[in-house]
Formats: sequence, C-alpha cells, structure tokens
Amino acid sequence: MTAPRPDAANGPLPIGPLVSFLRALRGGLDGGQGLAGALADSALALPRDARESLDAAARRLAGGYEEDDWGYDEEFADAALPFLEFMYDRWWRVHAEGVERVPAHGHALLVANHAGIMPWDGTMMGVALMREHPLPRVPRFMVLDWAFDLPFVSVAMRKLGGVPASPFNAIRLLEAGELVAVFPEGIKGAGKAYRDRYRVQRFGRGGFIEIALRTGAPIVPVAVVGSEEIHPKIGESGLLARLTGAPYFPITPTFPLLGPLGVVPLPSRWRIEFCEPLDLSGLTPADTADRALVLELSEHVRDLIQRKVHENLVKRKHAFA
Amino acid sequence: MPGRRVLITGIASYLGTELARILEEDPAVEYVAGVDTRKPRALLAGTELIDVDIRDPELLTRIPDTGVDTVVHNQIVRRPGAGMSARRAHDINVIGSLQLLAACGRTPTLRAIVVRGSAGIYGAEPAAPQFFTEDMTRLYPLRTRFQRDVAEIENLFGTFARRHDEVACAMLRYQPSIGPTGSTQIPQYLSLPVVPTYLGFDPRIQVIHERDALDALVAAVRRPVRGPVNVAAEGTIGLTRMIRIAGRPTLPIPSPLFGSATGAAKRLGLLDFSPDFQRLLRYGRGVDTSRLVREVGFRAHFTTVSAAEDYAAARNTAEAAA
Repeated sequence: MTAPRPDAANGPLPIGPLVSFLRALRGGLDGGQGLAGALADSALALPRDARESLDAAARRLAGGYEEDDWGYDEEFADAALPFLEFMYDRWWRVHAEGVERVPAHGHALLVANHAGIMPWDGTMMGVALMREHPLPRVPRFMVLDWAFDLPFVSVAMRKLGGVPASPFNAIRLLEAGELVAVFPEGIKGAGKAYRDRYRVQRFGRGGFIEIALRTGAPIVPVAVVGSEEIHPKIGESGLLARLTGAPYFPITPTFPLLGPLGVVPLPSRWRIEFCEPLDLSGLTPADTADRALVLELSEHVRDLIQRKVHENLVKRKHAFA
Repeated sequence: MPGRRVLITGIASYLGTELARILEEDPAVEYVAGVDTRKPRALLAGTELIDVDIRDPELLTRIPDTGVDTVVHNQIVRRPGAGMSARRAHDINVIGSLQLLAACGRTPTLRAIVVRGSAGIYGAEPAAPQFFTEDMTRLYPLRTRFQRDVAEIENLFGTFARRHDEVACAMLRYQPSIGPTGSTQIPQYLSLPVVPTYLGFDPRIQVIHERDALDALVAAVRRPVRGPVNVAAEGTIGLTRMIRIAGRPTLPIPSPLFGSATGAAKRLGLLDFSPDFQRLLRYGRGVDTSRLVREVGFRAHFTTVSAAEDYAAARNTAEAAA
C-alpha cells in the first residue's frame, strides 16, 4: 500500500485531509484490499490528518509562513502540487522527455512555445521538473504582465513562482542562479487562433537572447505539445476586451458560453520535450550589441522549437485520445 | 579641524528630532540648526531652531548666515494630514524645495545636501520589475499627485547638483516606514480594527523600520553620496502575511468598489488612504538596496519581515498595557 505523501497531509489548505483520504483509499484498493477494509484504514488516518491540517491552517492565519523575495510560497506550492499532479497525470497525461538535460545547478533559461490564456504550460513544465528531474527544482516562469492585474490569478501566479515578464526580473533571477522559463511569443502566442496552433510565432525582438548573453545562462529550448488545444480560440471580441481591460478577449466553444466552466481546459494529450542546451560559450555580454547575431540566434531557437513541436505532434498521433 | 555644521528642515517630525538628537551628541558635529514652524518632539538643547516656514523667502538670509556645510531636507509631505489641503502639501513639497535650494545657492560653505525623498516615484504597477534600481524612474507614467511632486523635487535637486559641482546631493528614496512610534501610513493602516484589502490581491510590500530609517539618514549625513539611493529593509512580505502578523482581521473589498468604500470611510473620519497608498495596497513595490549597502555603507538592521514583527510585538505590548 502506498503511504500518503507527507506534504499532502501537512498542506495548509483544508483539502489536505480529503486528498490524503482519497490517496489512502486508492492505495488500499490498488493493494488488493476490499472496499470496506480500505475505507476503514483510510478513515482511521483522517482525525490525525485533519488535526495536522487545522494546525497548519491556524499557523498560516497567524502569518507563520515563508515567502521569498519574489513572493514564491513553498507551502502553497506544495499544497497545490496534488492538484497540479492530477492535471499532469490524469487530465493531460503528460509525457516529458529530456528532463535530465535541464542543468541541476545554477542558472538556466528555459525557452518554450506558448499558448492558452492561463500559463498552464509553465506550470506543467514545473511539475515535469519537480517529478522527473534527478534533482527537482522549481522554475520561475515569466507571466504576461496582464495576469498581475487580475484578482486571485495574480496571487496564485506569484505564490507558484510566476514573475511579471520583464527583462529586469529575468536578469535578476538568473544572476541569483535560478531556473527561469520564458515564452518569447508573448501575447502573440497566448492569443493564437485554433487554426494557427503549433505555428510558433515571432520571438519578440530576441530579448531573451540578450538576457542569456548578459548573464551567461545556458538556453534550454522546450517544445510543448498539447497546450495549444486546451483553449481552442475560434474568435475574439474587441468590445469585451475593451470592457474588461484585457489585451484580447478569446471566444472558445465553451467560453464565455458556459461562464466560469468555460475556463476549464480541454483534456488534450501533452508531450513536453526539453532539448539539448544551446552552446553560447564564446559569446560575451558585449555581443548583445550585435543586433544581427541576436536576431539570428533568436530565429535559430524558434526554428529548433518549431521542429521539435512538429516531431512531437507526429509522435503524439491523436490530440485527445 | 572644525566640525560639521548641519541644518535640518522639518525638525519637528519624528525623524527630524531624532536626527538632531544624534548629531548633537556627535563629536564630529559642531553645530545643528533646525527649520520648522512646529515645535520639535523633544527638547533639543544644542540645536538652534529657526522658526521660519520653508516656503518663506526669509530663508534666503537665515540659512547662509548659519554657515552650514550640510543641509538635510526632511520636509516632504507624504500624505496631507488633518487640516492640510492637497494644495498646501504640494506647495510645501515643491515651493518649499525651491526656496530651500535658492537659499542653498547663496550658502558658499555648503558641501552636501541629503534629501529624505520617497520610493513612491517608482509608483506601484502590476507588471513592474520586482526590485527597482535607481535608474528605473522612467518606466511608467507618473500617476498620482504625490508622484509628480516627488519627480519635480528630484528634478530640482538634480539640476542644483549639476550646477554646483562642489555640493554632493543625495536623494534618498525611502520605502514606507513602520515601527512602534507608528504615525506613518502603514502602522496606521495595520492598527485599524478591520483592515481593508483588495479582494484577490496580495501584493509584495517592502518597508523600512523607523529606527533603520533614522540610522540610514545619519549614515547618509556622515557619508554624503551623489544621486539617488533606495532606502529599504531587505526582502519583501506579502500584504496578507503582514496583516496576519499584526493580528488584524482583513476586509477584502472588490477592486471596483475599493475607492468608493475607503472614500466613504474617509468622510466618516475612520481612515485616510492617499491615492499612492491605495495603489501600493493593490500592486506593491520592491526596490533594490545594493547602492545603499555598497556606497552609503549602511545595511538595515531589520528585514521587512522582522520590522513587521517588531511593530506587531511593540503594539501588542502597548495594547496589553492600556
């Protein structure tokens, strides 16, 4: 029988006991126990879990928790992990490749294709690194500025390791030896129409190359397949965008038709491939002055990601099967 | 070798009085003067008090006569208090600085100016760099009256510094302070019986403990540097966590209603949030303090978190005693 994960029981959110109850129940059933036996066993653990969870909640209510300078809240991230793992394992059945190519120590810049209104691709890359990397590490992901003007979303993003997309932030994080994920397509990627899925858009002005050169961080290109089907955008509404102050207002088959339910992402099948780090040795911060070089490198990374996206699309076969 | 001669504006404020007290004790300082129309908070035996309004042209003769080598400008109104109009605050901030600089221009003995400015010049923005460095003042438009005041003040002092090469002009950009004395916005906010917040927002806040605020000012007087310097405690804290450490219940208000709700409470005399403070409560702000550490040689004793804890502990003791 699999033991309930300790972090789930210690999680600050009151769903902690419920999660570990269900885990224990499933573990019991998988272990060949009858339903009644499994129920009894997992129910026995409930009072202890509930008490621990209440203690943790009380401690948090008194301000007894840590956030780092960037607002990353490890306890919160731990508590959210079971949910994110559910999305990873069951909802999107993510297959990750080449996770070990991400440096285990020191700074590195993950560069990926981007789609979707919510930064699910960034979070799933994070789960892949937490679960499959020999030395799990939490990436900080750059989030479209606009998300930090939204209630709740802004807080969740920050606590999970999201940082407003600004070169100053990326440089500072890399100089501190962090792993940083960027999506150079930016709003052009997030606002992609469904028929344009997996066509990697222009990579801005190559700012991420400048950041890598400036800090000496290796670039790890990442191809994400699956994220571009979760919110199939079939149109947009200029009027609603103006009214809500959003950069664009997507219309999908379910949104805004089903209201909040329409925000639930579709269960496509995902593949994430971490590619070989790019060799930028021999280049120095002074090379950022060479516009042609920066644009060429940027285009090279875009090409590479586009190629890997196509490869993984073929390997995946069916989008939703 | 003769000692330093220092003049402090806004000497009646907490920081002004405390700074004068420290400089009076300092053997390297031979003379301390203070400009203010209000009475200092404590008796300052060794300080010459100049009872002149900072906007008054009389300063043009009074300051050169003192023969000071250092001027500490500590009279910038962050929030118009009771009975002060926004207009008057603006006058004190801008016309006061202008008048002070005119007087400084006629003081040939002057070698250093230290301004207690504000990190409010950076504003509070959703997508801002998480740690503003001193060169990042032009990233966003100046949105509030106070921000425009600070920008104008910085401009005035910057121009003066360029024209007077012999004067080192330090612009200290202070993050909001917190501490047991608690007359500034954040302690007042945290001592409300119910603390209003923006529903769904939990910004990163950075403060400086009032004792560190004072020590940083002293350090800047002792070692005057040129140009802007951020002054803040290390690290940031989520607003929610700060309120929880202070032991207060929150009242989350949806952002479209926040302005009108706090405006109504202001009319009832329950609280008084400046527009800058409201933006801070929604988006927060962090600054980089490496220049303060490296060039002024000052490192804050309290971190943002321990400053909040110190404030909460002091207040709880005071409330238990009452």
